[in-house]
Amino acid sequence: MAKIVGGFLVPHDPIMFVAPNAPDKIVADKAWEAYETCAQNLAAMDVTTVIIVGNDHYMLFGTTCLPKYCIGTGHVEGPIDRLPGLNKALVNNNEALASFIASDGAEQGFDWAVARSFTTDHAFSIPYQLIVQRAEAISGREIKAIPVYLGSAVDPFISMKRCRELGEQIAASVSRFDSDENVAVIGSGGISHWVGVKESGKVNPEFDQRIIDLCCNQDLDQMIALSDEQILEQGGNGAMELRNFVCAMAAVGAGTVSLIEYQPVPEWVTGLGFMELRAS
Amino acid sequence: MKRDVLERVLWSLSVDRFSKEKFKENPEKYLSRFPLDADDVEMILSFDVKKLQQIGVSSLLTMGYWIEMSPDKSMVTYNKKLGSESSYSASIKG
Repeated sequence: MAKIVGGFLVPHDPIMFVAPNAPDKIVADKAWEAYETCAQNLAAMDVTTVIIVGNDHYMLFGTTCLPKYCIGTGHVEGPIDRLPGLNKALVNNNEALASFIASDGAEQGFDWAVARSFTTDHAFSIPYQLIVQRAEAISGREIKAIPVYLGSAVDPFISMKRCRELGEQIAASVSRFDSDENVAVIGSGGISHWVGVKESGKVNPEFDQRIIDLCCNQDLDQMIALSDEQILEQGGNGAMELRNFVCAMAAVGAGTVSLIEYQPVPEWVTGLGFMELRAS
Repeated sequence: MKRDVLERVLWSLSVDRFSKEKFKENPEKYLSRFPLDADDVEMILSFDVKKLQQIGVSSLLTMGYWIEMSPDKSMVTYNKKLGSESSYSASIKG
């Protein structure tokens, strides 16, 4: 049977691509090097598929339908929002595993919205290009990728509790999938950041450190106990993406979580945290 | 709810090429397709992103429609309209 062997928690900050030279070079280099560390470590994991848990930014899903959670089960391409150095391309999806997660999930009470032909945005495509495709190049092996999109940036938000349950369902379904695949899960999101509001450019290192500590202590109980009001006040509207972290951590399960890098970067409007998850 | 239709309009103006073209051709005519009152229309035409956010419109959409449709696409101006002097923004179009 397939198994989840590890994963990462990483940002998907598009401003890194739009304004790469905005912060001090030392700060910028640390962020780019953190992605490279993730790619090197993923390449060493002997992984065949990566599930990337991200969120729409009100570009893919409009007011006519806002899914709480959605999985791409067929053709996948992206990103829709091309950035300098991040071009639109086909994604090598693991359609069989993605479809199984959706159908097996339905048996467990998880009614996935399914995207049969899906275009990602940068939440998927940044870690896909910088970590998954880079790991392919390092290892010389094919690594497929499945997009999972949570309602983390546009209300009505998926609850933190449901994100945890969803991660656990992903893990259970992977363990029932009849193959010998090794799977990694990436939670894609920034820690503190304020998007499109008057506080844009503010970063809260204290909040970021609290979240990093909770992640490294694998304290999902405290993570999901954070109220939306607390997150919005202390971490900004962008920090609602912590839901993606919760889902990924729950999918990978108990083990170790280690900090790779943290940089608070006002010029890139985000507290950037990079962590590695190891399954027990 | 007022916010919902405003979000539909701003989403269309952020991502839909046809809507963008029609708005540029004749903004009043384009907006007449939606159940908007005079205040709503004025908010959109004047790019009053602060007021739009105050009534609950997503900042992702106020930013998206600003970047795509405003005469002055500057995020510095956008921030000023919100009451901020920050030069930083999450705009993906610089």
